[in-house]
Amino acid sequence: MLAGIDYFIVIAYIIGMLLLGLYFKKFVNSSEDYFLGGKSLPFWAIGMSIVVSDIGALDFVGVSGQAYRYGISVGNFDWVGSVPAMLLAAFIFIPYFWRGGMYTIPEYLGRRYNQKVRTIASVTWILFFALDLGVLFWASAVLLNVLMGWPIWISIISTAGVVGLYTYFGGITAVIMTDVVQFFIMFIGGFALVFLSLYEVGGWDSMVDKIATMGPEYRNHFDIIQPQDTKSPFPWTGILFGLTFVMANAYMIGNQSIVQRCLTAKNEWHAKASMIFGSALKMFIPILVLFPGLMAVVVHPGLADGDQALPLMIKSILPPGLVGLMFAAFFAGLMSSVDSLLNSTATLFTKDIYEPFIKKGADDKHYLKVGQITTLVLLVIGVVTSPISSDFPGIYVAIQTFMSYFQGPLFAILLLGIFWKRTTEWGGLSALVIGIGFAIFLNVFKEEFFTIEDPFLYISWWSFLLGVIINVSVSLLTKKHTDEQLEGLVFSSKILVKNKKL
Amino acid sequence: MFNFDWLSSVSQETAKMIFLSLYGVIGILVLLLPTEYVYEGIAKEDRRWWNNLKLWSLSVLAILASIYYHF
Repeated sequence: MLAGIDYFIVIAYIIGMLLLGLYFKKFVNSSEDYFLGGKSLPFWAIGMSIVVSDIGALDFVGVSGQAYRYGISVGNFDWVGSVPAMLLAAFIFIPYFWRGGMYTIPEYLGRRYNQKVRTIASVTWILFFALDLGVLFWASAVLLNVLMGWPIWISIISTAGVVGLYTYFGGITAVIMTDVVQFFIMFIGGFALVFLSLYEVGGWDSMVDKIATMGPEYRNHFDIIQPQDTKSPFPWTGILFGLTFVMANAYMIGNQSIVQRCLTAKNEWHAKASMIFGSALKMFIPILVLFPGLMAVVVHPGLADGDQALPLMIKSILPPGLVGLMFAAFFAGLMSSVDSLLNSTATLFTKDIYEPFIKKGADDKHYLKVGQITTLVLLVIGVVTSPISSDFPGIYVAIQTFMSYFQGPLFAILLLGIFWKRTTEWGGLSALVIGIGFAIFLNVFKEEFFTIEDPFLYISWWSFLLGVIINVSVSLLTKKHTDEQLEGLVFSSKILVKNKKL
Repeated sequence: MFNFDWLSSVSQETAKMIFLSLYGVIGILVLLLPTEYVYEGIAKEDRRWWNNLKLWSLSVLAILASIYYHF
């Protein structure tokens, strides 16, 4: 399917990424440089990096496929499912983390609750990221193979080699600055497909008219708010309670790979601005990943598998050259996801596990080396374990689902931890453990409890609510923390009116 | 209860108004932030209106609300 020019574009892109990433090696002299970019990065680079690391190669296909099946309501995930949470993160949480000089979210949980909560949260993230790496490699490589005929092991080895080298040497600065280029590649490739597809279907109004005449199953295709009794996974109740109130906040506030980027900002204004700028860019994502799926309803009607929508649109719409650019955009999605996983996991392991439990008080160069070696080890584990995914076809969905069940209880303890002084270490610990257990229980017995196709939004909400109830109940029964213990860790109006002082 | 059946009588139009109201509430909360706080990190003499993060946030919310109003 690829022409000569397409191969040239893809190879030039891969080599360019490698050279750009390696350029940032010279800025890494300490562990702070490696994990927090020396706290020197501008808001625009961080904002682009937040957005691009959130879209993988699989999301292009998956979201287009869901848009083909369910319509525009899929866009809720990048609109209401991101913007309010990013504003909350920008104005409340990020300033606390940034001023506190933190490296990881579990580090905040450790200071606010206790070391056990920190360790549980950190180990959960590390396990998830490490498992996700191999699965992501394989699933993305299979996708690139199906789409473009690119051999699976060439995808894996070239991605691992390039991303591994620049992440090993350049740390998070290389991750963020390569993400900036990947952002432009994705947007140019994605918008080219959208504009050419729009031309093919005769414009927006023509597409809406054509879909409206295709039958009752397309009646709600242009309703962003779906009724409560819809059979799709996106009823408005799930979008409001599960996505807007819980999952979006947990993702934007509690996800290490997102928050760590903001902590690299050169000052507090840049840290806040990075999230708000990112939220503005986020609003364009549905146009890139959702619109091709909608237009495929007109161009390729009646597909049994919605995930075929995007590949078919690329094949039928894009000319040589732009196919290569789109392929580079898929690669960019894969690379930005992999480099985020590597750097975040290395940070979590070095700061939350190695430093407190394995070797306390070593010099800074030692922790820098540990971070680099962890990056390398993770990469090798990811590549070696990637073929296992071929024996377990549902493993990608299973891992993502597992992570979504961690979000509700995690957000419950983060929210109460920062807003309620009375929350205690035992309240936080029990809420986390029981909340995760409850989410797993609801998942196992989901057919008994839920009527919609995939109730992950509802499960997030109910496990969050139980986490709040458990946290409040246990906290009221246990000894409260002293004001000295809570200094700089609990929200105070002082942060809004006094500079620097929490 | 787990499926929010108790909200089944709420129409799609009302649900849309709930989302739009949410954006309105967030906008009001953003407006209530002290101006000093949103500029924190920029030296006083270098502060310009385009550095005001309240304006950034309100612009983003306005675009978001218009998307939900339209669809």
